[in-house]
Amino acid sequence: MVSSALDKQIEKLLKCELLSENEVQDLCEKAREILLEESNVQRVDSPVTICGDIHGQFFDLKELFKVGGNCPETNYLFMGDFVDRGLYSVETFLLLLAFKVRYPDRVTLIRGNHESRQITQVYGFYDECMRKYGSSEVWRNCCSIFDLLSLAAIIDDRIFCVHGGLSPYITHVDQIRTIDRNQEVPHEGAMCDLLWSDPEDIENWGISPRGAGYLFGENVVNTFLYYNDLQMIARAHQLVMEGYKLMFGGKCVTVWSAPNYCYRCGNVASILEFDEYLKQEYKIFEAAPQGTRNISQQKSLPDYFL
Amino acid sequence: MDNEHMETEPVDQPSSPPKDSFIPEIDSSAAADVEMKDDLHEPSESNPIVSADSSKSPDSEIVYPIAVLIDELKHEDLNFRLKAIKSLQTIALALGPQRTRDELIPFLDETIDDEDEVLLALAEELGNFVPCVGGVEYSHILLRPLENLASLEETVVRDKAVSSINTISQSTSQEQVENFLVPCIARLSEGEWFASRAGATKLYPIAFEKALPDTQTLLLNGFEKLCKDDTPMVRRSAAIALNEFIKVMSVDVVISHGLKFASLFLNDDQDSVRLLILDPLVSIAKALSAEQNVTYLSESLNQIYTDKSWRVRFVLGEKLVELANALKDPSLQNNLSEVAIKLMQDQEAEVRGAVCTQISGLSELIPLEDIIDKLLPHLELLSEDPMQHVRANLAKNITSLCKKFGPERTISHLLPIFLRILKDSFPEVRLNIISQLDQINQVIGIDQLSQSLLPAIFELAEDKQWRVRLAIIEYVPLLASELGVQFYDEKLSNLSMSWLGDPVYSIRQAATVNLKSLIDIFGIDWACKSVIPKIMAMATHPNYLYRITTVFAITTLAPSITPNVIVELVLPTVESLMADPIPNIRFNVAKSIEAIAPVLSSDKSTSDLIDSRIKPILEKLLSDQDRDVRSFATRAFQKIDVASK
Repeated sequence: MVSSALDKQIEKLLKCELLSENEVQDLCEKAREILLEESNVQRVDSPVTICGDIHGQFFDLKELFKVGGNCPETNYLFMGDFVDRGLYSVETFLLLLAFKVRYPDRVTLIRGNHESRQITQVYGFYDECMRKYGSSEVWRNCCSIFDLLSLAAIIDDRIFCVHGGLSPYITHVDQIRTIDRNQEVPHEGAMCDLLWSDPEDIENWGISPRGAGYLFGENVVNTFLYYNDLQMIARAHQLVMEGYKLMFGGKCVTVWSAPNYCYRCGNVASILEFDEYLKQEYKIFEAAPQGTRNISQQKSLPDYFL
Repeated sequence: MDNEHMETEPVDQPSSPPKDSFIPEIDSSAAADVEMKDDLHEPSESNPIVSADSSKSPDSEIVYPIAVLIDELKHEDLNFRLKAIKSLQTIALALGPQRTRDELIPFLDETIDDEDEVLLALAEELGNFVPCVGGVEYSHILLRPLENLASLEETVVRDKAVSSINTISQSTSQEQVENFLVPCIARLSEGEWFASRAGATKLYPIAFEKALPDTQTLLLNGFEKLCKDDTPMVRRSAAIALNEFIKVMSVDVVISHGLKFASLFLNDDQDSVRLLILDPLVSIAKALSAEQNVTYLSESLNQIYTDKSWRVRFVLGEKLVELANALKDPSLQNNLSEVAIKLMQDQEAEVRGAVCTQISGLSELIPLEDIIDKLLPHLELLSEDPMQHVRANLAKNITSLCKKFGPERTISHLLPIFLRILKDSFPEVRLNIISQLDQINQVIGIDQLSQSLLPAIFELAEDKQWRVRLAIIEYVPLLASELGVQFYDEKLSNLSMSWLGDPVYSIRQAATVNLKSLIDIFGIDWACKSVIPKIMAMATHPNYLYRITTVFAITTLAPSITPNVIVELVLPTVESLMADPIPNIRFNVAKSIEAIAPVLSSDKSTSDLIDSRIKPILEKLLSDQDRDVRSFATRAFQKIDVASK
């Protein structure tokens, strides 16, 4: 069976062990074939559990699976920002990618603003690849996969899922379908906005303090949902101390899945389970306890720390 | 909100991505070419880089010329240089001992000036090099390069070099020690840079052990100088080395010199030096008799008991029992238990937490009445300590007292503390005592335990921390086996079933494993009556994640239930779930069949059901529209086929 090598790689990644450069190349090759077939706005069937930013917090991702269920038993939709900031971006992204390749119908990955060459060079993924592999080969392979990730997903034609939010250039979902997504995230335009925008308590549009994307208000959300016959928008992209945050009367939700973000923010994380009738259930979880993390990480404190 | 400030990435984005500047473009295409040629087996035409690489077949490694070594040691790529160092033994083997001594070692000594990683590898290799230079009688040759490495600033390299010298010196003769090791120590001790002096400290014990009496005196004087060194790093190294040094000293030398060195450190103005003195003190106390300890150590001990640095008291707290055992004298030990009580009230939480780890050992040293009168009140206070990690440490260690207390006193004196800890607001504290429940159980018996602790356990079974719930679940089979069916059905049954519907996946899974253990304990009739129907009822839950629990339970329980129960109670549910609208359920049905089939085929009366009922299910799943369902069905089919053959 072709999948047995892949199953071994998944087993390895679940133990937070690195794949060899050749294995990464193979995996990316297979992922490319699958992702090329997917559309800019990927159709997803319920039931599905949706997750927000992970940011390389590998052991907290495992905690997420402990609470939400293993793959493939539970269907997952990850809304981007798999890499950067945490200590295990490589293992985290490759594990999710391996799941995607092994069970394409059970796992959906969409692109976040950190799935980009420029951002990963500033916020850690590039450095991590150099540190762990001694060359940029793995980083380049991953970046070429980033370019192929879907920009958004729609669950049962009702729930619109995207990393950042809406764009003033887009009134109909079909307009997203016309974007050529196979490129580095641009600095402006519809593709950039989908990955960068944030909801805000304003009426319409506002300038984003991030320097990319826009702030969008309740009217914008209502109009978008009405035109596209949708029920709600689910997105990630912003740290929420309580794990999730509903806005605009429940029409927009932010889901955040990196507990104790950057290992110091003290927040809880959440996932959102949509059952087969699109009933929502939020599951809150905390950072994995110290004992379940890699021991080698803790041992190397120099002795002047006592 | 501050998250917006945390992520203001693109503001300072460079306008043109720097991606091309550091990526050698030819790389991937060249690598692809190479691979293709490898596949085609065209060795004669392969490109020169590849042929250089592939020349390292096992054969050619033996005649590895020293010139290649030199090339590799100068290679740009760190990995090549590391590999060269790791193959040094092979090269030495090829050169023979004489040339290794005359050429290779001097070469290494002179030319190596590299990154720490390479030097570390070299320091390690040289430690195993004795056979390569012609055996023990020539081993002093290695001291030269190692001496250089032992004076480097990078601690890891220095330590490795020192430990390699120690390894080599284990087997050297007295003459070699006198002629080579001692001068080497002298040079390092006189080094201008602190690193070489720090490295030297750890070589004194082995040299002292093997040297002539006169030289021993010199070594003691040399070491004393290092104990008084200006640099705290050197004094720290000396304090660490002192522990090994004491172990090779005779009792007289311990009294004449060991104590003097120790008191130098005790009076050091750096607490990072003082806190290292505990280990040497333990070694001194071990070397001396009980009376000698009273005579020589009382003062030093009092000094350390009242040290003003909490870091010193912390180390003391961690080593209380070790020290007490080494001291041997009852009055000193008694003194130490007073100190323990004082440390329990220390201002610093770290110190209080450290003493908690000593409870078990302390209980061996202190008579029961004293524990109850003096220690217990303070343990009670610690169970309400404002710092959670102090309470967590207490929770982990306090149950060790049960044995000493016996059943009655455990119930009257310790149980109230246990109950308070079980209600702690911090989950780790609760978990720590739950994981010790069997220790309590052994002493007071399950009846008492269940009477007094069950209410608390019930509360924890619904704890909002899922790991606490998990710990309780894992404890249920033990409780059930001790308390019997009736008690379980009355008190624990509902709890066990409710875990099957827990919002957290791991709990639902643990719940199925728990039920399997219970069936193994209470038997299959009980299972048919109390468990299986309830599990099957969950197959109609509206949420797929809970229906899937039924399938998991079937998979988990199958080995523990009999074939006819499977036919009567389980198979109908399996047949209904195979048409479930959610593919996840259907492919888990295929997985569960892998567990059911062996049970059915193990019995003659049911083995023909494989063909009549099981295979039709799989055949249906094989033509499913979902590829995962088809894939798992194929796997199940193959397994059944293999088993039937």
